[in-house]
Amino acid sequence: MRLMSKLRVMAAIFACKAARLGLRLLGRGGTDFPGRVALKLCPDLLGILAKNVTTILVTGTNGKTTTSRMIEQALVDSGISYFANKSGANLLTGVTAEFCMHSNLFGRCRHDYALIESDEAAFKAISTYVDAKAIVVTNVFRDQLDRYGEVTHTLENIQIGISHSPNATLCLNADDSLCASLAESCPNPVCFYGVNVSVYATRVQEVSDAPYCIRCKHEYVYDYVTYGHLGGYRCPNCGYSRPKPQVAVSAIARSDADSSELTFRFESGETYDALVNLPGGYNIYNACSCMAVGSVLGLDPATVAGSLGRFECGFGRMEQFEIEGHKLRMILIKNPAGCNQVLNFLVGTSSPVVFAACLNDGAQDGTDVSWIWDVDFERILDMGDRLTGVYVSGRRADDMAVRFKYAGVPVEKIRVFRDNASLIDACLKQPEPVCIMPTYTAMLSLRGYLSKTYGFKQFWE
Amino acid sequence: MELRICHLYPDVLNLYGDRGNVMCLKNRLNWRGIDCTVTGVSVGQSLNADDYDLFFIGGGQDFEQEVLLDDLAGGKAAEIRAAVEDGKTFLAICGGYQMLGAYYKTWDGQQCDFIGALDLYTEGEQERLIGNFMFQCPDIGGLTVVGFENHSGRTYLGSGVRPLGTVLSGGGNNGRDRTEGARYLNVFASYSHGCLLPKNPVLADKILATALERSYGEAELAPLDDRLEQAAHDAMERRLR
Repeated sequence: MRLMSKLRVMAAIFACKAARLGLRLLGRGGTDFPGRVALKLCPDLLGILAKNVTTILVTGTNGKTTTSRMIEQALVDSGISYFANKSGANLLTGVTAEFCMHSNLFGRCRHDYALIESDEAAFKAISTYVDAKAIVVTNVFRDQLDRYGEVTHTLENIQIGISHSPNATLCLNADDSLCASLAESCPNPVCFYGVNVSVYATRVQEVSDAPYCIRCKHEYVYDYVTYGHLGGYRCPNCGYSRPKPQVAVSAIARSDADSSELTFRFESGETYDALVNLPGGYNIYNACSCMAVGSVLGLDPATVAGSLGRFECGFGRMEQFEIEGHKLRMILIKNPAGCNQVLNFLVGTSSPVVFAACLNDGAQDGTDVSWIWDVDFERILDMGDRLTGVYVSGRRADDMAVRFKYAGVPVEKIRVFRDNASLIDACLKQPEPVCIMPTYTAMLSLRGYLSKTYGFKQFWE
Repeated sequence: MELRICHLYPDVLNLYGDRGNVMCLKNRLNWRGIDCTVTGVSVGQSLNADDYDLFFIGGGQDFEQEVLLDDLAGGKAAEIRAAVEDGKTFLAICGGYQMLGAYYKTWDGQQCDFIGALDLYTEGEQERLIGNFMFQCPDIGGLTVVGFENHSGRTYLGSGVRPLGTVLSGGGNNGRDRTEGARYLNVFASYSHGCLLPKNPVLADKILATALERSYGEAELAPLDDRLEQAAHDAMERRLR
């Protein structure tokens, strides 16, 4: 029987590797199918493969990929042998496949650490099999309602996932009343991280995803808001309030269109200056969570702070392309909170720009596109003549066009494109830089088109 | 001419783009040179229905919807019932639609009493009705309306109200009797949340005309260029046909 189960594990790993190789030979990425094959042959394979690997799990609504790339650089710079689920394979199938690819046929992992980004709905399944050392929760925002349900449901799922991980230290966002409340419902040790100062000079108007106290349903009072429902909250009724972060951003010296300069302050009083090589207030949070996980893992804080200035951003996450002398920046959008932060960033820049939004409604994008009405697109009017055009494409391009019309963009500025080729062609036929905001499957499709046509890296490379 | 819109509980009932409906109504008035004010009335604020011509109630998350029950019982429910009977125009979506009814009974048998302005009730089921859907409104010249539904409640209409439309594709009120939404006096209610009105401009104008007629005795709405709106509507209609 023991021999049989060993053979079963070997067969599953072999099948997974073979399926992945097969896909690559066909010139395709994808880890879902190989993972599915492996799990069919051996349903508890992930538990077996992850057994002796120190695992860091990253979950939450926004910022998972960018935070993971920052942590990855910190691992590299700290000389740690690791692997990461880099291609965004963040469901149970994809994570299993990643472990297979980094193990030999006997199920022994070639690395000491695994850095795993986990979809917040799949988190509870993944954590059943993986005994995580650290769990980072980035934030909890209203997301694709059709897929994740209400925010409290997402929070519940994360809590269940944590309950499978008794040995994990939690890195929680102190500024997010929802995320921070996990410290009360989970017995694990916690390292809170947060931003002690406001991050934007002016912000978009946005609806708060959590205006009422998670404990007693009384309205919160805020000393300051960084964005969304994040900031220095307290409940005047029951006293629930922002916990004091052990790792905090204590000052933001500069934050512009390319990067931010921050000072981190640890509980011990030590401070570290850092350059974060991605713009946007939300990346300040991602950087702070990376510093927190570094401290949990016992990495040298100065090294981790240095890593923030040289990590490589994930595909489509503020990724820049230069094509025939034209600058394109691709920023993945998934939900109102994330999209509003992109607008905060764009309105804060100073050069002319064309704005392109690619809206798909596949399962991974969210089949319900109503969320575009919760985004404060009206804000782009503040850019005035700097906004030289608004392009829309994707399966729901027409809905996006209507949204921009009702935001007050003159109809003659709105152009609808039916495919990637015509969209990119139009981008290259005008002089200004283009900021493209695609949803997930639109990003993969556009990224694939750019790779094929202009020779950029494929997402699995 | 001015239309005064009351947005009830905008900070609580704002699930997934519901505010798009208010933006749509306001823009379509302004484009025709009609003034429009939008006033939010939320928890703890008093409501005087005489101050408004049109009321909008969106949907909410269960967690936040509970916050409202005490507030409604403290006077707003009675004010809303009187306003409905007085012929004021209402647009209620999803959770707001359910709240106009008599009660909501959860799948495990707990009953929660609502405003009781409309002769209908809702029962929760564990399986949600989720997806793009389409219905036809016989009262609005056979208009087809496209939208997105996402609800676990199943709403059943009493004899005192009629449906807003007949389901062509999707679940509608309860997934069984092919009715969608409700009409009563000048109340329009639907399960289609978020962007119901922007890509159903004929329905938006029907609601505006109803409210203007009630307040000014007549309403001539000049036609608008609705090509983008119609394209979005037609694209979804083609998918669901």
